[in-house]
Amino acid sequence: MILKDMFKKTNRENRVSNRESRPEVPDGLLRKCNKCGGTIIADDVKKGLYICPLCHGYFRVPAYRRIEMIADEGSFEEWDREMEFQNPLAFRGYEEKVKKLRETTDLNEAVVTGKISIGGTETVVAVCDGRFLMASMGEIVGEKITRAVERATEEKLPVIIFACSGGARMQEGMVSLMQMAKTSAALKRHSDAGLLYISVLTDPTTGGVTASFAMLGDIILAEPKALIGFAGPRVIEQTIGEKLPKGFQRSEFLLEHGFIDRIVEREEMRDVLNQILKMHRKAAAGNAEEKWHLESAAEEQPDKDRKTGTESVSHGQENSSRAAVSSLKAWDRVQISRKKDRPVGEDYIQALFDDFMEFHGDRYYKDDRAIVGGIGWFHGEPVTVIAQAKGKTTKENISHNFGMPSPDGYRKALRLMKQAEKFGRPIICFVDTPGAFCGLEAEERGQGEAIARNLYEMSSIQVPILSIVIGEGGSGGALAMAVADEVWMLENAVYSILSPEGFASILWKDSKRADEAAEIMKLTAEDLKNMGIIEKIIREPSDFTCDKMVKVCSRLEKRISAFLEKYEALDASELVSRRYDRFRRM
Amino acid sequence: MIEKILIANRGEIAVRIIRACREMGIETVAVYSEADKEALHTQLADEAICIGPAPSSESYLNMERIISATLISGADAIHPGFGFLSENSKFAELCEQCNITFIGPSSEVIRKMGNKSEARNTMIAAGVPVTPGSTEPIYDAADGVETAAQIGYPVIIKAALGGGGKGMRVAETPEEFESSFNTAQKEAQMAFGDNTMYIEHYVQHPRHIEFQILADQYGNVVHLGERDCSIQRNHQKMIEESPSIALSDELRRRMGEAAVRAAKAAGYTNAGTIEFLLENNNNFYFMEMNTRIQVEHPVTEWVTGIDLVKEQIRIADGQKLGVTQDQIQIKGHAIECRINAENPAKNFRPSPGTITDMYLPGGKGVRIDSAIYSGYTVTPYYDSMLAKLIVYAANRKEAIRKMQSALGEVIIEGIDTNVDYQYEILNNPDFIAGNIDVGFIENLNS
Repeated sequence: MILKDMFKKTNRENRVSNRESRPEVPDGLLRKCNKCGGTIIADDVKKGLYICPLCHGYFRVPAYRRIEMIADEGSFEEWDREMEFQNPLAFRGYEEKVKKLRETTDLNEAVVTGKISIGGTETVVAVCDGRFLMASMGEIVGEKITRAVERATEEKLPVIIFACSGGARMQEGMVSLMQMAKTSAALKRHSDAGLLYISVLTDPTTGGVTASFAMLGDIILAEPKALIGFAGPRVIEQTIGEKLPKGFQRSEFLLEHGFIDRIVEREEMRDVLNQILKMHRKAAAGNAEEKWHLESAAEEQPDKDRKTGTESVSHGQENSSRAAVSSLKAWDRVQISRKKDRPVGEDYIQALFDDFMEFHGDRYYKDDRAIVGGIGWFHGEPVTVIAQAKGKTTKENISHNFGMPSPDGYRKALRLMKQAEKFGRPIICFVDTPGAFCGLEAEERGQGEAIARNLYEMSSIQVPILSIVIGEGGSGGALAMAVADEVWMLENAVYSILSPEGFASILWKDSKRADEAAEIMKLTAEDLKNMGIIEKIIREPSDFTCDKMVKVCSRLEKRISAFLEKYEALDASELVSRRYDRFRRM
Repeated sequence: MIEKILIANRGEIAVRIIRACREMGIETVAVYSEADKEALHTQLADEAICIGPAPSSESYLNMERIISATLISGADAIHPGFGFLSENSKFAELCEQCNITFIGPSSEVIRKMGNKSEARNTMIAAGVPVTPGSTEPIYDAADGVETAAQIGYPVIIKAALGGGGKGMRVAETPEEFESSFNTAQKEAQMAFGDNTMYIEHYVQHPRHIEFQILADQYGNVVHLGERDCSIQRNHQKMIEESPSIALSDELRRRMGEAAVRAAKAAGYTNAGTIEFLLENNNNFYFMEMNTRIQVEHPVTEWVTGIDLVKEQIRIADGQKLGVTQDQIQIKGHAIECRINAENPAKNFRPSPGTITDMYLPGGKGVRIDSAIYSGYTVTPYYDSMLAKLIVYAANRKEAIRKMQSALGEVIIEGIDTNVDYQYEILNNPDFIAGNIDVGFIENLNS
């Protein structure tokens, strides 16, 4: 049965309306989302994180609200709030415009600076506000940022800048352009003092701001889908006469191209900043170490009790399987090292480090997924961890390029190592690669140069470096992450000049003789230990898979701990000269 | 003066409200989701506005769209019905801000009564009996177990923002407490995004007795007697009747006075319901206040002769209550059965589909409130209630016979319903004798 237009409606004839007032939406109660077009309650958005409840799109956040979102309550101390208006070009109408903006917003200029604490860590902060001439950088913006950075340098504080800007301020001409140099110079001094700068890019970050302070962070974060670029997309389209691809110049595009470390959702921003600040708080790291020692001492107690009975039993078991393992041929080990279910770099990261935070990109061209790097906590101390990454499934392996790094991967690794050096963090590398990626693009971007650069730079990095070969140590691709103070190998890992297949095919023109080649290449952990090329062999259970990692990792943990204790005690020149000698001997 | 009402609901309650409006000469605007284009309320109203796709979150729960529809249609009031946005204080507040008359209490009262601990404290202050329970919010099992010991087992653990049985668990013994608490809290977090819990004494074998109240904007409050809603499954009511066989005139007077006190303490306006648990020793405890029209309101309408939906509109329009407490007489007996599209043999699994044919009973003292018709398709998106069958007779015995007779006439083809299950209850000796408590269905099924 279809009921359409079947029913009689209410009789409306002779209706005299005597309504006194009509419903209406008060100004500002509702607004349209400029992204999805949906109607939303403005107040909810403002009290929240300026996110559309319908499409989860991000609105621009006023500077003071942004500070509230990330700072510990009541911790904000504003600096240089009142600045005298400057009009270097005597630009007509400029003063009136600024005056009006000062009246209609709660701002004096397009950036708010000062000091806050996040999770108890003090930091200098500068936040751009797009409501003020699209937060373009005039003299006052440049000056306020510069002063804030200088003061941070003086007070030995980190700096966080939330960028959002149309670029240079046209009304101020060349004076505006000079702000790029001025702010960059101040940041260089801050960096030279060994201090941390976190740049957070929000929508939009363009022009002269991108080409100065925004891109200079030790760590660069971005909000999702933010427009980030030097030339605006419209200008590029007009210049080249082509339509730009979807997603061009958005955060995700920049992440893929290696220019930002991480995309951080607004809900997590405070937590992420808090963690990064803590990872760079030297004094706190010391305390944590001490605390950890106390805790671990307490934990060791039951271990000792067990030694009497259980430990010896498990020793016995291990010894019998040990015999089986040591009878393995080199070729067997090659195959074990390549096994699909063997633990990979990311498994070790998960098992050995707390709150690992990955950082992406080489800052030149790409984020190479064949190398995963970042900062994690080891026994209460922040360490830089870099791993060559293989996957478990074909899909994962494709995304990691089967653990074969491109030049971009080595450059990312080096960038993270340099960062570790700046902040005095030890570096732990996990090596597991069939070799550096062999391909057209790799050669175009200088695979050889990238590997060479790592060998060159790693030789003099002034923090301890430990490299652990956990699977395949394929030639130069492996060495580019193994110019270390010590190199360790898992029992069934291999480390060689070339794959046995390649070796056989070069010397005997027959890759099928790989097993034979493996025997004579001296590529097993035992061979290499005997040759003095590596320092330690880490025993592993037979049929080593992720669920058998606990024992291996507890061994690794003890040894890494001892390694750090030994090498962190050395002064930098001693450390570097020992590393030099290590390779000089070979 | 309210001239046009937008009904922010669907199904039989929307139809019920449209009918009341029509009697009062008020124009009606229906809102509907894409799934409800053919629904009765959509067709019956003077105007209908589509407010979005089938999922409630994008249509019947979307406040912004409903407000927009109200403004576009020129309606001056919103009737929220029950469920959906009816007890959403944020929505009521939005209406207030937009000068739209929300047919219900103020947003402040909704908020206060919606928060269980706040509601409880209000009642304690007003001298309304409440079950012994925690006075502070509880966030973890360790704190809870101490409080539970003070209150006395068995205890019931509830979510502060809870409803519909979600985030609710009984612990019979201290041993059970931790796991019950954790399950309830997890559910609460999932369903309401809040893990604030509270604990109270679990009243054993109680009846669910609720009092209908009406309050105008001038401080006048009356109660319209009780409804016995003890026949429920998983806290979902199935059969309601008025009056309750368990209440003497004296107890009715006492509970009624408590209900009026409760409404006054809450600063209540419009129609509302105070739910009590009644123990067999005649102790009664405040459970919660429902700040909206109830599904089972027709039984009260029949025994009092008062049209509750029309009263709601009059009160919202600023009129004074037309009756005083002593003018309200409870006469005869009314029973309501909820007819749902569900299969009792398959654990009451919802049964969406197209109604190929149907016949519904009628005659003196038989009322059907429904939104179904032959050819109507029951969608899987919303509540499974198809119709309410209400009967009225001089006394309970006759009312039960009338309901048996009426249920026996209900024919709904094409989908599964609980009609036969209801018919069995109506023939159950305990039900007929009035030996019922909230555990009735559970006992029946076990």
